[in-house]
Amino acid sequence: MPDDPDAARQAGEEEARLVERLVARDERAFNTLVKAYERRVFALVLRMIGNRAEAEDLAQEVFVQVFKAVGSFRGESKLSTWIYRIAINLCKNRTKYLRVRHAGEQDELEALQERVPMGQGTHSNVAHIDRPDEMMAGKQVEHIVQQAILQLEPTFRECLVLRDVEELSYEEIGAITGLPEGTVKSRIHRARAQLKELVERALGEKIQ
Amino acid sequence: MTEPEEPKDDKLDDERDDELVRSLLKRTLATDVVAKDTPDLLQGVQRRIRRRSRGKFFADGWSTGQAKVGYVLVALITLVLVAVAYFALGPMDVR
Repeated sequence: MPDDPDAARQAGEEEARLVERLVARDERAFNTLVKAYERRVFALVLRMIGNRAEAEDLAQEVFVQVFKAVGSFRGESKLSTWIYRIAINLCKNRTKYLRVRHAGEQDELEALQERVPMGQGTHSNVAHIDRPDEMMAGKQVEHIVQQAILQLEPTFRECLVLRDVEELSYEEIGAITGLPEGTVKSRIHRARAQLKELVERALGEKIQ
Repeated sequence: MTEPEEPKDDKLDDERDDELVRSLLKRTLATDVVAKDTPDLLQGVQRRIRRRSRGKFFADGWSTGQAKVGYVLVALITLVLVAVAYFALGPMDVR
């Protein structure tokens, strides 16, 4: 969200215009929306599900649901918050389904790491690693963290990912999950504690 | 009866642990790392909508692709072609 009030107002007006076009079933507006949000939605879903093929399928389904339901969007929250809410709800349903099918075993995030050259992400923890042994250690940490995330309770995982990776406010997370702000804070705190324990157990040492 | 206050050292430890995990997550799971390899979702989404709406939406080539030319441009080109054809054939006297 822009800090400048004018920029925020302008962004709000642009969003309102886009929503108007979406409600009018303007297909070009919908194309614009998909292009604008596909990276964020896919990344969120992939972190929640941990399987690339499932994540791609689910991310597409998110946009289909957005197209179907945009007429019911009242503008009480930001459009992004509303889209995230749809994504999180679909992730919950898919996680339940996958748990029943025992199909969530394949770890596609690991494969993704192999495809993305290390250090290309601006926030990657291996961006400045020159030594191969350190690079391997960095990859291992990434893998361990991703595995640990997937071991968290889905309700904890969603709050943690929305806060610490998507960097949303507690208020926005509350709007997406339908939880009171206090519950959101408590879940994030507990999720971090669980994650720390899982990562340290896997690493065999304390996180520094 | 009021709840006993958490010792300050414990609170500081909690905050420090929270910060450690936050920075670890930011480093390892940033959107630009995961989303670098984002597949193109648009065509798949359009296909699903077209199928479920039984062709009502995204049914033609204009809306399904990221059209390179707009309707106005096509209209202008058509007009120019008609004009060129008219003058090439020569005005015809129908009397």
